[in-house]
Amino acid sequence: MAIEVIKPGLATSVQDAGRPGYYHLGIPLSGALDQYALHAANLLVGNEEGAAVLEATLLGPELLFRAPAIVAVTGAEATPKVNGETRPRNESFAVRAGDRLTFDYMKAGARSYVAVAGGIDVPPILGSRSTYALGALGGFVGRKLAAGDVLPVGSAAASARPGRAFAADLVPTYPKSLELRVLPGLYFHRLTEESAKTFFEDTWTVAPEADRIGYRYRKGRTLKFRERKQPFGAGSDPSNIVDAGYPYGSIQVPGGLEPIILHRDAVSGGGYAMIGTVVSADMDRIAQMQPNNLARFVAVDMDGALKARADYRSRFARMVASLR
Amino acid sequence: MRAIRYSFGGDEHVFAEIDEEMSLEAFFKGMAICRELGERRIAGVSEICPANASYLVRFDPDVIHPNTMLSTLKEIEAEVGGAELELPTRIVEIPVLYNDPWTRETLMRFRDRHQDPNSIDLEYAARINGYASIDEFIAVHSGAPWFVSMVGFVAGLPFLFQMVERQKQIEVPKYLRPRTDTPKLTVGHGGCFAAIYSVRGAGGYQLFGITPAPIYDPAQKLPYLKNFMVFFRPGDIVKWKPISREEYDRDVEAVEAGTFDLTIRPVKFSLKAFHSDPGGYSRRLVEVLHGH
Amino acid sequence: MAQHRVLSPLPGIFYRRSAPEKPPYKEDGDRVAQGDVIGLIEVMKQFTEVHADASGRIVHFLVDNEGAVEPEQPLAIIETD
Repeated sequence: MAIEVIKPGLATSVQDAGRPGYYHLGIPLSGALDQYALHAANLLVGNEEGAAVLEATLLGPELLFRAPAIVAVTGAEATPKVNGETRPRNESFAVRAGDRLTFDYMKAGARSYVAVAGGIDVPPILGSRSTYALGALGGFVGRKLAAGDVLPVGSAAASARPGRAFAADLVPTYPKSLELRVLPGLYFHRLTEESAKTFFEDTWTVAPEADRIGYRYRKGRTLKFRERKQPFGAGSDPSNIVDAGYPYGSIQVPGGLEPIILHRDAVSGGGYAMIGTVVSADMDRIAQMQPNNLARFVAVDMDGALKARADYRSRFARMVASLR
Repeated sequence: MRAIRYSFGGDEHVFAEIDEEMSLEAFFKGMAICRELGERRIAGVSEICPANASYLVRFDPDVIHPNTMLSTLKEIEAEVGGAELELPTRIVEIPVLYNDPWTRETLMRFRDRHQDPNSIDLEYAARINGYASIDEFIAVHSGAPWFVSMVGFVAGLPFLFQMVERQKQIEVPKYLRPRTDTPKLTVGHGGCFAAIYSVRGAGGYQLFGITPAPIYDPAQKLPYLKNFMVFFRPGDIVKWKPISREEYDRDVEAVEAGTFDLTIRPVKFSLKAFHSDPGGYSRRLVEVLHGH
Repeated sequence: MAQHRVLSPLPGIFYRRSAPEKPPYKEDGDRVAQGDVIGLIEVMKQFTEVHADASGRIVHFLVDNEGAVEPEQPLAIIETD
């Protein structure tokens, strides 16, 4: 069984649950930016948790199936079509050999996930099939998909069938404006008193450069760092520190201009002061933000972060329980 | 050294700043804590990342509560605090073609982003560090060994710290605006750190030369990459070896044939012994490379 | 004669010229053939060409140069032949 890529879309890559354990050598987690949508897609087609899927960003691909398959599309609000006929999102459907899967405009959300029963069967590297494009590692020959690529698919589980779906009210929606919860910390104390306030007061717009490495935001007021005699080994700008490891979700503001939230293809470290970290429960929501969408940052403490995490888990569990 | 400053990076990370400024002591302390943490194999800990003067731990708060994670790290800090600062590691010789045509072409292309558009990066670095010529600067750069104090930014990229007294350390600011391109395997410098660009890409470090030795290769074609696709580990010691264009071309051919190898020797590094005689200790370290 | 709207395939920034010093691809009132480039969308450090998907005369552009656009947002109106 194989799938041929007729048109790759803007940036479509093979992703799974990620590749932990190598961040200390500069190899980031990678994996589906929206893990909720990844797991949902795999459940719908009867795959094991963490099977590899296709992640399509902002513009869906055109795919030709060379054999019959069970498929599910989750994530962004982009209607899938088989040979031009509409198919539901968040519900498994069957395709025949020779069928073409295409996508309508991404009306909301930024990433669609395409799971195929059996999973995309590229070779696992360091325990994962995820693509890390900066390091030309994993996925389909280490890069995003191109026209003409032929993707191998594994054997479908016996339970794979069309028509599996979740309760409709448990499927996430993707607003164009949202709040992201941030645990201030790391080098937050380096901001001036004024900037420590304006960061949370302003509405920030997703920049067109936002990608798997980091989400860049603009149009808030410039953030100022406290003046000091820079420590030995730190750069000359007050936003610089001695190069350090960057947490996933951490927010850096090079030169005080545009906050960047590092995502799953993060650069693992560098010399820009991080002013806080987006809570783990909101990382999937960042993944679904389109350029020009709006965000406000809301400060939470650790209890708030853990509560958000528990809520995320229970929402996911309810969705899984509603699978029919 | 002051007490470590801890901060949570969201609900999944602890960031520990050992010192605001770079020093071998800060790096050593971080390495010692990271090593001990690794040996304890604590459930829920997924990443342990030592950096120059800090370290980062990623954990699953559903398995280990953030406060338990933090108190464990504080406990380890107290335990290793007075430990002998010794590190079993390896020394490796990295050939470098200084002032090579490829980084030279790149730095000329991005001259408008540089502090001194009228000289090349090596001339600029030599001048602001008080050396009379490029050759004198290269002799100093390749004289003392360097310590790998962090691996990261992108896959396999080492940051290196020069093993000389602080007043002798080479310091060069980064470019005014980062370049959008840097050749793969460029040897660069920013602040007090050297780096080898493991992959082609953007960067802001000054460009001094290029090494023929791949240091990151997912295909693992060379003998010293057979074990793992990333060569460098924090704690490695590096000696740069200036090479000619002929030697460089020969090395590149050997890389393509899959026969290229590096000279690598095990050493035990003692911070105390280094501090009592930096020059003499470094010389003895380098002698290990060639079988003395 | 019918009016046809050219829709943006992507979110991002819309450019009406290939480079700041270049003239716009098309002006209001210009004739276009199906497949002609009428602008660029910048997103994720890539530039994607926007093609006219009908032939005729451009009545007018609905988005300014460097304007922010959403997927499916109308960029220009073409009076088709």
